[in-house]
Amino acid sequence: MEGNIEELKGAIALIGYGLGAIGGGVGVGLVVGQAITAMARQPEMAGTVRTTMFLGIAFTEALALLGFVLFFIA
Amino acid sequence: MGGLIALVAAVHHECDVVNEVVCVPADVKTLFEFKEPWFTIGPVNFTRTSFLFLLAALIVVALLFFGLRRNRMVPSKFEAAIQSLVEFVRDGIARDIIGPEGVKYTPYLLSIFMLILVGNFFELTPFINFPIMSRMAIPFFLSLVTYFIFVIVGFAKNGLSYVTAIVWPKSVPVALRPLVGLIEFVSTFALRPLTLAVRLFANMVAGHLMLSLLLGSGVAFILAVGEIGPKAGIGIFWFAFGLFIFLFEIVVASLQAYVFTLLSAVYIQSSLHPEH
Repeated sequence: MEGNIEELKGAIALIGYGLGAIGGGVGVGLVVGQAITAMARQPEMAGTVRTTMFLGIAFTEALALLGFVLFFIA
Repeated sequence: MGGLIALVAAVHHECDVVNEVVCVPADVKTLFEFKEPWFTIGPVNFTRTSFLFLLAALIVVALLFFGLRRNRMVPSKFEAAIQSLVEFVRDGIARDIIGPEGVKYTPYLLSIFMLILVGNFFELTPFINFPIMSRMAIPFFLSLVTYFIFVIVGFAKNGLSYVTAIVWPKSVPVALRPLVGLIEFVSTFALRPLTLAVRLFANMVAGHLMLSLLLGSGVAFILAVGEIGPKAGIGIFWFAFGLFIFLFEIVVASLQAYVFTLLSAVYIQSSLHPEH
């Protein structure tokens, strides 16, 4: 069967971005959830936990954002 | 003037308000193409982005100059705000992350923090509505500066053992060392500058696109009320959603400036103490 892959490129990129976003979403949810638990247990450590939480979010989020950029490049 | 107004006008003319429920530009890729330069000085093309970049730098210099010019016992509200910002970067980022010897990196961290903050808030400023960090060249340049700083600091502080500690990590079982070392080497020297830049860039592009599409759709549908009747109510929904995203983008703009500065500090710290 003859097919033109160019026409499907956008749709495939969109699916790829959706799949990439799953991991990032689950990861950020886990990071923030655990950080909230830690802050609730030890409120005196809240400052340190918050800084580390932002670091964790930044590292986790990177893959989802790469998917977002690849969606436009593809 | 006003990228958003131009975009709203373009969306309004192209928008098929009768059949669609949201206005999407015909080709999103036009948003990523180079615009015609305003004028050219020698080999340098002067575009709207470069003008905004210089404007952001000027605003940062002016803020810091007028905020810290006088060392008074009782600072005014503006001076107190700028001083607390400087203190936040020095104590909250440089000293907390890098340690006591990190205070000397405060000037660099403060400059990138302020530049990214001002550049991101251009996204939310009426009649500008363009985050300069959504042009890949600018965040990539900033992340390359951070890259050179942490590599040079690593070599200056630890000599050649900076690289050997990364490719042959002592804290890992011997059998795993080649694999972990390879991953660490690639992630430190190739992926760090890339992800640092892409994180800022993609966040800003995503926010800019969301704001433009939602507010643009809202205006386009509301203006077409004579043509489509009660369906124009969708426009009110899009506009309200756009205003909600606007509030969200205030958080994102400040948070991304913070994250970029924080990660720069973490990378410098990991060069000073590669064993951690």
